[in-house]
Amino acid sequence: MLLALIRKELLVLSRDVHGLLALFVLPLIFIVVMSMALKDVYSPHVDNLAWSVIDHDDGAPVKSLLTQWTAESGKPQALPADWQAALREGKLKYLIQIERGASDDLISTTKPDHPRIVLLTEPGLDFGVFTALGAQIQARTTALRVKSLMTNLMAKLPAQIKPTMMDVDTLGGEQLTKVERQEAGSRPTSVQHNVPAWLVFGMFFVIAPIAGLFVEERSCGTLGRLRSLGLSPLTLLLAKMFPYLLINCLQAGLMLAVGVYVMPLLGGDALSMQHIQWPALFAILFAISLAAISLALLVATLVKTQAQANTVGPMLNILMAALGGIMIPTYVMPSTMQTLSRSSPMNWALEGLLNVLLRGGNLLSIRHEAMLLLALATVSISLAYLVFRFKRI
Amino acid sequence: MLTLSGIHTRYPHATGFALEDVTFDVDRGEVLGLLGPNGAGKTTLISHLAGILPLQQGSISVDGQSLQQSRKTHPARIAVAPQEYAFFPTLTVRENLQCFGAMGHGAASSSDPFNSRITSRIKRALSFAQLENFSGQRANTLSGGLKRRLNLAIASMSDPDYLLLDEPTVGVDPQSRAFLLDAVRQLASDGMGVIYTSHYMEEVAALAQRVVIIDHGKVLCQGALNALLASDQTELRFEQIGLSDIDVRHVLQNYGQVQSSRHHIGQSSEHCSGQVLLHSHCQPGQVLLALEQAGARIVHAEFGRLNLEQLFMQLTKRSLRDN
Repeated sequence: MLLALIRKELLVLSRDVHGLLALFVLPLIFIVVMSMALKDVYSPHVDNLAWSVIDHDDGAPVKSLLTQWTAESGKPQALPADWQAALREGKLKYLIQIERGASDDLISTTKPDHPRIVLLTEPGLDFGVFTALGAQIQARTTALRVKSLMTNLMAKLPAQIKPTMMDVDTLGGEQLTKVERQEAGSRPTSVQHNVPAWLVFGMFFVIAPIAGLFVEERSCGTLGRLRSLGLSPLTLLLAKMFPYLLINCLQAGLMLAVGVYVMPLLGGDALSMQHIQWPALFAILFAISLAAISLALLVATLVKTQAQANTVGPMLNILMAALGGIMIPTYVMPSTMQTLSRSSPMNWALEGLLNVLLRGGNLLSIRHEAMLLLALATVSISLAYLVFRFKRI
Repeated sequence: MLTLSGIHTRYPHATGFALEDVTFDVDRGEVLGLLGPNGAGKTTLISHLAGILPLQQGSISVDGQSLQQSRKTHPARIAVAPQEYAFFPTLTVRENLQCFGAMGHGAASSSDPFNSRITSRIKRALSFAQLENFSGQRANTLSGGLKRRLNLAIASMSDPDYLLLDEPTVGVDPQSRAFLLDAVRQLASDGMGVIYTSHYMEEVAALAQRVVIIDHGKVLCQGALNALLASDQTELRFEQIGLSDIDVRHVLQNYGQVQSSRHHIGQSSEHCSGQVLLHSHCQPGQVLLALEQAGARIVHAEFGRLNLEQLFMQLTKRSLRDN
């Protein structure tokens, strides 16, 4: 009986073109669009921005600074006549304004009375890029100043102790410190965040079709007819569960494949599957799928009409996604929201997947998220059974 | 025999009983008409029989075995064809029959749900409902009549001993209706006990050997159709000009029970039509004479035994049932 019901569910699903489109195409579109759109948010680039310079100094130290800057950030654009307007409108991303006397400040041992090198940016520049540019200009000016001071100092020292002095070029902070992201494989990219995020969203998207089909079958008397043939509520619920496990499985395979193979073709980064602990990946995907389907069945048994099913399902999805860090990464949320986000099942799912895909997590490292998801699945399916058992059909 | 005895049902938070002391039976090979206005309790009764709604008080037995026990050994012994199109609209006719066939008793003992036994039943059901030419067509593309036939064919798939048909001819053309009625007769003659609910009294009168009329959860009357309609009482229907509604009721009060009396505008003048159930000792001629003596001019009159609709209306009253 269960096999026949599963076969029926698969047939019904295969003929619900709109439902399938929503389950497969929608998350795929999200993955491609969001990964491409947020590419620079996850790894901000400052080397290809349109910039220009106003140099009123023309001294050798400033020339050296600009030469180095050009080498790192590309050639400056010709200064537009109305550069203020160009900057306001974003045609220029930033402009370096150098006042007369800046070269003197760069080699002076005294504190400048005011900043003579100013970096102006357009109003809409991303905060991350803004911070990166600020840090870059400060680092370059500081390096030039230190080099100049050391050169002057060495010139004044007696010749016999000069050889013990080190080369000023070796005095940079980069010789002492190093910034490196701790990770298992390659560094996290927009793709590596967005693929798991929208995969989770897509897997939970089964709520809408499950609830919709369930309400339709209940309202047209089909569920009642099946119950009259002696099928228990649990059998009917389980029969709905297995086909959607298969759907979630296909979703996961397809979306991970898009991350690995399609995104690079579209100019994005590739999803790295190196250092993946496959048992951990399968376990967390299974837990996510069970939780999503069980929650969907609970919603399906609770809603009364098709309109409710069509509204409650997507609303619940969007709420869980917004709260759970799917749409907005949790690390950009205020601390209260970050705490609140931990109550979203999509957050448990996403953290579990990120543990595996980004941090090379194994079964032990995903146990917390997997347990939460399995607990949600158990509670949801139990409640769904009770509601289905005692509610009038 | 399918026997219902002393069934009481009350829904949570409801003030009254949905079913109150409902007792009747239906034998194999018999068509029992179950009649009642909307909200009478028919659906609750069908839910009990289908095993969807557990019994609160009373009992249902199937050939001497409790319904619960019977459902354990043969879940599809009582099949239901609901009023709604209770099938999967995106599946074809054959796929629907396959699915419901596999759910029934036929597949329970087999490891392969799509075995030859089901295949032969599908063939038989398609032939019975004359759906052979539509077996590959999706159910949601069928006409209303074909959908009703599919509904009935699905119910017959599990080869039940008893069949509950809930308004099986709603929204079908006269040809499909005639076909469905013949099909029900065929099922009964093959030995199936049929409980047939409908608001079309002429269908029930044409099919049923016995009738149960329920309202407000109570059985108002039950028995063989002929016996119920063979009452001593005679109904007189007439149209007259001259007397008001109140005058008519006053004149007729000693002759019988006035069922209705109302004014309406006729082609040339204002008529008053009336309906009265005569006391056994009264003759129609006496009544008409009394009306004429009171000043009425009789335009039209007819009398005779009650038909099923008149009996139904007499028992359930004329008030509208909105729930």
